[in-house]
Amino acid sequence: MRTAFFISAIALAALTAMPAVGSGAEAGQTPAAKNAYLYIGWPNDGEVIRTHRFRVWFGLRNAGVAPAGVEKANTGHHHLIIDAPLPPFDQEIPADKNYLHFGAGQSEAIIELAPGKHTLQLLMGDHQHIPHNPPIYSRKITIEVK
Amino acid sequence: MQGGRGMWKIIAMAIVIAGSGVTSALADATPISKESRVYIVWPRNGQAVSGGKLWVRMGLKNAGVAPAGVEKVNTGHHHLIVDAPLPPLNQEIPADKNHLHFGAGQTEVHLELPPGTHTLQLLFADHQHVPHNPPVYSEKITIVVP
Ligand SMILES: [Cu+2]
Repeated sequence: MRTAFFISAIALAALTAMPAVGSGAEAGQTPAAKNAYLYIGWPNDGEVIRTHRFRVWFGLRNAGVAPAGVEKANTGHHHLIIDAPLPPFDQEIPADKNYLHFGAGQSEAIIELAPGKHTLQLLMGDHQHIPHNPPIYSRKITIEVK
Repeated sequence: MQGGRGMWKIIAMAIVIAGSGVTSALADATPISKESRVYIVWPRNGQAVSGGKLWVRMGLKNAGVAPAGVEKVNTGHHHLIVDAPLPPLNQEIPADKNHLHFGAGQTEVHLELPPGTHTLQLLFADHQHVPHNPPVYSEKITIVVP
C-alpha cells in the first residue's frame, strides 16, 4: 500500500517534471530570442479555404529571419508542419512533405493541400535546422480545404 | 552662336555621362529575382488605427530575408519608409526616423504614430542597405490615426 503510493508519487513527480525536461535537455543549443513569438498570420484557426493552393503567412515578433547556414543571434528560419506533430526538439527538423523548410529566409509560402481538414504549425530552427532553446513554435491551427 | 552650340554639346554630354552613371550604379547593385515583391500585409491602405499603435507586417514574395551584412543570393532585409518619399535607389538607404532598417531580419515592427495621416512604404535592400537591381519596393499606403 505504502509502496504503491510511493510509486505513484514518483510517477506524478516525473509527470510534473516533464515540461521542464522538454524545454531544457531536449532542446537545441542555440538560445532563443527573448520574447520571441511565432504565429500563423494567415490562415486563421478554423478557416475554410475554397482553393487548393493558398498562401500561408508566417508571423514572427521579437526575433529575425536568417537563411539556413547563417549563424546570427536571435534569428532562425521557418518550418511549416503540416498534418504532423512537433518533432523532437533536440535534433534536426525532418525534411519531408509534412515538415517544410524555408531555409532561403522566406516569410510566407504557397502550399497546396487536398480537400479535407488539415493542421498547420510553425517551428523555428537555427542555422542547422535544430529548434532553439527554448523552442519557438506557434499554436497548431486546423483549417478545412473545400 | 557657335559658343551657344558648344555649350549645348557640353550639357548634352553631361546628361549622357550622368545618365550612364546612374545606369551603371543600378547595374552594380545586387541582383534579385524579377519576380520578387515586397508588400505591406498589414495595415491596409486607408485603414484607421485608433491610438496609433500597430504592428506592421512585412510581406515578401519570391525572395528571402537575411540579416544586414549577410550576402546571400536572392535575399535582403526590409526597410519601412514612414512619411517620406522613396530615397535614391542607387545608394545606401538613410537611417533615421523616416527610414527604419530591419537589419536583424525582422518581418514585423511595432509602431506608435501620432494623430494624423501617415504613409508607409517598404523598400528591400541588400547586405549593404542598398536597394537591389531591379529595386524592390511596395506600394505606398496611407493610414489615419484619428
Ligand atoms: Cu538596412
